[in-house]
Amino acid sequence: MPSFQLNGQTVPFEQGDTIMRAAWRAGIEIPHYCWHPGLSIAANCRMCLVHVKSGRQMQMPIMRFDEKKGAYVPDTKPKLVPACQIEAQADMEVDSVGEEASKAQHAVQEFLLLNHPVDCPICDQAGECKLQDYWLEHQGDLKRKRTEPVHKPKGVRFGPTIVYDAERCIMCTRCIRVCDEVVGDPVLDMRERGNRNEIILAPGRELDHDYTLMTEHVCPVGALTSRDFRFKARVWFLKSVEGVCTGCATGCNTHVDYDSRYGKVYRLRPRDNMAVNKFWMCDDGMMTYTEAHEARVITATIGRGEDPEAVLPEEAIDDVALRLEQTEGAKIAFVFSALHSSEDNFALAKLAEAVGAEKKYLAARADWKGDDILRHTDHNPNRAGALAAAGGALEDLEDLLQDVMAGEVSAVVALGPTCAETAEQLAPLAKLETFITLSANEGVLTDVASIVVPVASWAESFGTFVNAKGMAQTFQRAIPAPAGVEPAWKTIAKIAEAIDSPLGFERVADVRTALGKSAPAPTSAPTSAAPAPAE
Amino acid sequence: MTVGVKVITKPKRTLAEQVYVPEIAKGLGQTMKRFFKNTLGPDEEKEIATVRYPEEKREYPARFRGIHRLTQRSDGSPRCVACLCCSTACPAQCIHIEPAEYEPEDPRYGYERFPARFVIDELRCIYCGYCVEACPCDAIRMDTGMHMPPSTERHHFMYEKETLLELPGRDGTYLTANPRHEPGDATHPGVDRLKGH
Repeated sequence: MPSFQLNGQTVPFEQGDTIMRAAWRAGIEIPHYCWHPGLSIAANCRMCLVHVKSGRQMQMPIMRFDEKKGAYVPDTKPKLVPACQIEAQADMEVDSVGEEASKAQHAVQEFLLLNHPVDCPICDQAGECKLQDYWLEHQGDLKRKRTEPVHKPKGVRFGPTIVYDAERCIMCTRCIRVCDEVVGDPVLDMRERGNRNEIILAPGRELDHDYTLMTEHVCPVGALTSRDFRFKARVWFLKSVEGVCTGCATGCNTHVDYDSRYGKVYRLRPRDNMAVNKFWMCDDGMMTYTEAHEARVITATIGRGEDPEAVLPEEAIDDVALRLEQTEGAKIAFVFSALHSSEDNFALAKLAEAVGAEKKYLAARADWKGDDILRHTDHNPNRAGALAAAGGALEDLEDLLQDVMAGEVSAVVALGPTCAETAEQLAPLAKLETFITLSANEGVLTDVASIVVPVASWAESFGTFVNAKGMAQTFQRAIPAPAGVEPAWKTIAKIAEAIDSPLGFERVADVRTALGKSAPAPTSAPTSAAPAPAE
Repeated sequence: MTVGVKVITKPKRTLAEQVYVPEIAKGLGQTMKRFFKNTLGPDEEKEIATVRYPEEKREYPARFRGIHRLTQRSDGSPRCVACLCCSTACPAQCIHIEPAEYEPEDPRYGYERFPARFVIDELRCIYCGYCVEACPCDAIRMDTGMHMPPSTERHHFMYEKETLLELPGRDGTYLTANPRHEPGDATHPGVDRLKGH
């Protein structure tokens, strides 16, 4: 592989790579605003100017201030080139930290901050803002301009999800390019020039496609902010773990940002994975973090109707065990969930084996609108994983209904909150005396259940999802589960213990080891390997 | 190494000192002189270091860090923009803020953000003054010149936004010595796209 020299370091590159892309691949940062690895090259921010020392040197005539003479005198300086646009060539000598490059970075940074309102206290980007980072690294001095900055519209609502602040905008056009190139819906554009420059919407349109939050994600400054996350938290309080999106079978990799002081998840951010989601996520996927807090099942309940009896989770587990022992094994139906991790489904399969049940079904959400970008028509994150963990084909809930009508099933143990069928369709199930649901959220399956046992949500447990491509991807626990609530696999293990056929699952690693032995792991290829769970 | 020895001569005592009683009488005489001077004597001659707290109060020094107050804008709204810099700087973690956003119809929409709740746990506070230093808007100050009024109820020490806004500075005003023009302000000097350049 050919290579070039960047600040004295050898950087390999592929034919056609720009200096910036080769450096990015090698993990070296050349300061930049408008360049993004997933977007086309705009080369308009000029932050990545570098000095190419090899080859023919072009000199630019300039006027330099001579302090002795107290006047400007003619001088020359080497012509710098934008690293994001210049193709790397073998044995090129590039300097991005030397005197000339630093001077240019300082000047560009000062220019970008010329009319900036510096309203960091009210800006959500503060703490993860490139302007702040590069000011510290490449500028570090006070504003020289003493006149009032140019004012532009603030707090413009671009659509249901995004707010735009023109004063903070540096016109890098990343948001425009995301809409054009990634989404294929050119709804944003730019108007005017110079300091009147601003981003505008196409006439008669709103920023309302399926990937609007990506415009906020790529914005290097605080010009675009998400209306959902706006003013909710300061980013320096947030910690992050690696997650997998539960929105659909694509299994986009995420960063789950949470505040450990309150045990609350605040947002998701896409985690780069070239094999799955590249750099992007859809809006619905970004909003799945609300599942960790909204419509949660926190207390165990026994009974149906207006006033079910609230009990401790341990009491519910004892009751479940009692009913499983009283019912003939062959008449117990087990409903697996395409929304729960492979570990949870595998523990359920083991419990089914322990009670000698044969009837197994799959609860999954109905298909939704997919697209060619990321969204898969399968609205479930782990259909493949649930099937593999259950160890064979699973029947639909339609079949369960028929089996219940035919009297072949007298008790049901279900995992997960919801399924494709509506509550009316499942009405016959609500007549069963024993319908046990283990769920983190309220849904159709908790509505028809006679016993509901709360379990941890995906944000509160370690697990694995197998996406539509058959890639097993692990996710990590972000926040602790509510008091007394445990992951589904652990709750199931406790039920198994209560009926005197322990599964031997103490830690999530035990489940994974057993899962790996019983069903060979699907072809897994996560590019960013998650560290082993610490639980 | 030799040990250095310093010989100390014993103080010599006279016979009058050794019999004890005359010296005691002399000392008591001094005590009684002070006692009558400080209780019955004229005020200007009194040499007394204590005050009759709480009826009498001593003036605190000019830079005394008292209980916090939140400064107001001229329209009475809090200058605080809920940036959470103070609670970030706070080593005792006694400041709790819930930010909120003005609605677009609100005349103060330009300020964008305000504290829906601002609570200081004055019991937990260590009065270090970091919050005042951290504040970019001069919205929180400790110049009330007051210390915490005592109470036996814990919740009396939770100072909410309304209480903090009602506390005046030592000069009796609620405003700040550092006024600022902000977007949305009638006095904001800037030009914008609508007003022309």
